[in-house]
Amino acid sequence: MANVNNDKDLMEKIKKMTTEGKIDAVVEKIANYLSQSDEENSIERLEYVLETISSIMGGRTVIRFLIENSIIDIPTVLQNLSKRDNLLRYSVLLNLKTIVEEESDLFLPYSVELLGSEDPNVREALLQLLIFIVGGEKEIEDEPLLELIASKLVDDRDFVIEKAIQTLKAIGKKNPSIITRILKKFTKECSENEDLKKSIDDILRSIVTVEKIEEIVEEEESKIEKPIEELVEKEKELETKEIELKEKEKELENKAVELEVKEILSSFDLAQNEKEKQLKEKEIELKEKELELKEKEKKIELEEKIDKQTLPKKLIKEEAAILDKEIELKKKELEFKKKKLELEEKEKKLEAIEIIEKQKVLKIKEELIQREKQLEQVEIDLKKKSLEEKERKIMEDEAKRIKEKKTELEKKEHN
Amino acid sequence: MPLDPNHIINFLGNTINDKFNSELLDLIIKRIHKLCFEECQIDRIQCTLTPLCTRRFLLKLRIKNGLPLEDLPKFCYSVQKNIVLRDFRGKTVVYRPVDAYLYLVDFLDIFFHGDYRKLNKFISFQNWSEALEIFDDRIKNQNENFRYHQKGNFLIIKYDDRLHIVFVDEKYVLCNANRENIVSIELLQAICEFYAKLYFPEIKVKLTKSNYVEITSILPKDVLNTISETPAEAENPSKLDHYFWNVFYEDLEGMLQFCKEIHLEYDWMGNLLIKLWINLETNNFNEKKYKIQLRYRDLRFLLNFIQRLYNEFYVIWL
Repeated sequence: MANVNNDKDLMEKIKKMTTEGKIDAVVEKIANYLSQSDEENSIERLEYVLETISSIMGGRTVIRFLIENSIIDIPTVLQNLSKRDNLLRYSVLLNLKTIVEEESDLFLPYSVELLGSEDPNVREALLQLLIFIVGGEKEIEDEPLLELIASKLVDDRDFVIEKAIQTLKAIGKKNPSIITRILKKFTKECSENEDLKKSIDDILRSIVTVEKIEEIVEEEESKIEKPIEELVEKEKELETKEIELKEKEKELENKAVELEVKEILSSFDLAQNEKEKQLKEKEIELKEKELELKEKEKKIELEEKIDKQTLPKKLIKEEAAILDKEIELKKKELEFKKKKLELEEKEKKLEAIEIIEKQKVLKIKEELIQREKQLEQVEIDLKKKSLEEKERKIMEDEAKRIKEKKTELEKKEHN
Repeated sequence: MPLDPNHIINFLGNTINDKFNSELLDLIIKRIHKLCFEECQIDRIQCTLTPLCTRRFLLKLRIKNGLPLEDLPKFCYSVQKNIVLRDFRGKTVVYRPVDAYLYLVDFLDIFFHGDYRKLNKFISFQNWSEALEIFDDRIKNQNENFRYHQKGNFLIIKYDDRLHIVFVDEKYVLCNANRENIVSIELLQAICEFYAKLYFPEIKVKLTKSNYVEITSILPKDVLNTISETPAEAENPSKLDHYFWNVFYEDLEGMLQFCKEIHLEYDWMGNLLIKLWINLETNNFNEKKYKIQLRYRDLRFLLNFIQRLYNEFYVIWL
């Protein structure tokens, strides 16, 4: 009874000092109080402290100081509060919200340990803390942690699943591509779980907007394109090797034919037995080479098959489907290009015709201009001639007049 | 214009729509089920700190209609129980659990933890002598600060100023009764008797033939004679003068909201009898012009008036 009264008095003091802003002193008092606890009353004392400070002004700061000074640590708090009172645990969690948002490093290191806790209340509480963390500026991109969170989508307790959904949604809103990828991977691993599919569907619907789809597709394409490109390159290599082999086969066939012809010709020449032998040897050698080449061809085919077998069937199918689609796309692209080219050619022809016509028009215009010029020249010439004629006439008239005047003057002089 | 609640209420009230009412109600029931089981309690933090129905009224709906625990959102109910427990122990709660319904066994678990199984058995089988013996033992020997009153189907338990009503047949309890309506005249009479027994034993409580609970306070002739005849006679009036000249009529006016009738009469000895007639209706009207039912808080207001009158002007002067 005395202890209870002492506890009450201490808590009243703590309350008073906290409201007065004497945070350091309060922290010291709490540290002393908790350090004096034994196994029996340690949880009670922790609860008592949290109960007292979580509901008063400045209590949040006290909790922050207690955590920062390692007087209380998150795993201990969550694990111990779990056993008692939901309301107290959730109240404490709410009080941790701002601390978690601002100083996630105080909590993140415990994530994996607490997510793996046997107690569902602890798992739930940790997921809630992660939601608070993501609510701040921090982004969670640690893939193993995200995979661990995703694994809680198949937890045996519904409320943990619900919290995991909320956590993934919260993270996914900031970083949809990682969550989408992890969930896809997780779906493949547990493809038969209908509830899981629903949960994942729910998460994806809330995090993937139309704008974000493009980002995700771009990221994924860049990752998918690489293996596809590699496969296409391998195929090309194989095709070129096949062509080379066929060419070599043809050469060998030709040589064999030549040898046969030579054999026939040499059959008439008894003296050429030795040459015949040599030729046969060469023929054998060639056949051997042919065999070697065939073996190599088979090996390449086998390698190709092995490569395909090593990939999961689904992937091969998907890749095949992607390749088919790509080929179709390429075909369509080619057709499109052909049509484009045709159109361009037609356009060019039309342009050429236009140019020719323009040239013709220009020529005609030039001719017309020349003719006009000629006509003008003719007109000028004509005008010149008429002027010359007029001048001549005038001159002639003047001459006549002068002559007449002369004759008149002469007549007058005579008179 | 979207549907509003009145449209639904009017539709359900119209007998022409009887055929469709079940369909409409089915929709509402499904929505409530989804809200409780799929949306609210699945997120336990939300259910604990910010439940999706105000003060868990949907829980009340289920308990009051006799649904067993199996048909309740269990986590939500566990939170309700925990909040009542924390409030009882003086710990911080998200909201004060007024008008919270709990099953009898859980109520007993909170308030009479050590004896709750026995008490549950005795009360359920209405073995009152055994049950009340346990209560008395706790009050006398364990210094527990509660009082009780049993009448018919009701067991009223008062811890400090909190009133808890046990509905014996229904096996549920209304904890911290406040805004709920008082459901029967028997209960109304029981509460009045309980308060009279605790705070004003000389005041008479009886049920009239016209089904009113009559509470009669007596203001002795001696006291009446000390009241001045006019308010202007004294510059500094006595407490008694001040009350009867300045406050009493306001109190009576206030009482008239909740009492059906107030009778002021003299008995043959010249004492003033103040008779309050109460039933389950108040004299106030709601928006639809229906009389508002008497609530526990209204009754407490009436009883506080009587208690003040008794303490200040009756006992002292008697």
